[in-house]
Amino acid sequence: MEAASIAHGAHDDAHGAEAHHGPIEANHSSRVDAPTLGMLLFIISEIMIFGAFFTAYFFIRVAQGDPWPAPGTTIPVAVAGFNTAILISSSFTLHWAETSIKRGNRFGLRAGILSTLLLGATFLFIQINEYVHLGFAPRDSAQATIFYGLTGLHGAHVCIGLILLSFATIRSFRGHYSPEQHKGLNVPGIYWHFVDVMWIVVFTTVYVL
Amino acid sequence: MLNPLRSEGDAFRFLLYVIVVFGSIIAVILIARALS
Repeated sequence: MEAASIAHGAHDDAHGAEAHHGPIEANHSSRVDAPTLGMLLFIISEIMIFGAFFTAYFFIRVAQGDPWPAPGTTIPVAVAGFNTAILISSSFTLHWAETSIKRGNRFGLRAGILSTLLLGATFLFIQINEYVHLGFAPRDSAQATIFYGLTGLHGAHVCIGLILLSFATIRSFRGHYSPEQHKGLNVPGIYWHFVDVMWIVVFTTVYVL
Repeated sequence: MLNPLRSEGDAFRFLLYVIVVFGSIIAVILIARALS
């Protein structure tokens, strides 16, 4: 009797395997799709990280009342302003790429995403060059630590954004996107605009205020 | 309602608002510094 039951169970399993191939389908309970939800949660955590750095910055300037920048040091505002223009331009080219693929314009997509990648790389190159010529190190003062901390944190985000955009660029040149399916461009796009927004806040507080 | 974390288009529009707001703040700061 027991042996017959086991044999029957084995038959059911075999029948079940025939009916359902591959892994079990994931349960999507959210109205937001998984890649966008992942990016949303990631950006929220990023805002908290930047918030911690801005807290340190405002503590030094407001609570402690220290001069900014540290006495005897200067921050190149004009170079940073030029760099800001480059980064903002990269968001416009990325939006051009996104709107182009929505209309089925592959040339616009490729030109836009490649321009974004090059503008982002230029921003990073200018920032590294700025670090080389600044004339002070992070250990020199609290102001220098915060300056390098905030701008360096943002630079790391540009670096991550460039990696994501390079994947999107390769995929766009391989013809992966279409007017209906371009999630691989949309999600890094949200991140890139977030990186731009954060830079505008960093530039205003660190360089202008 | 604008949600910058929903799509690239919304994120771009949010960026434009941020540029306008912070651009105005920077302009006010620079004018105040020039006058003082």
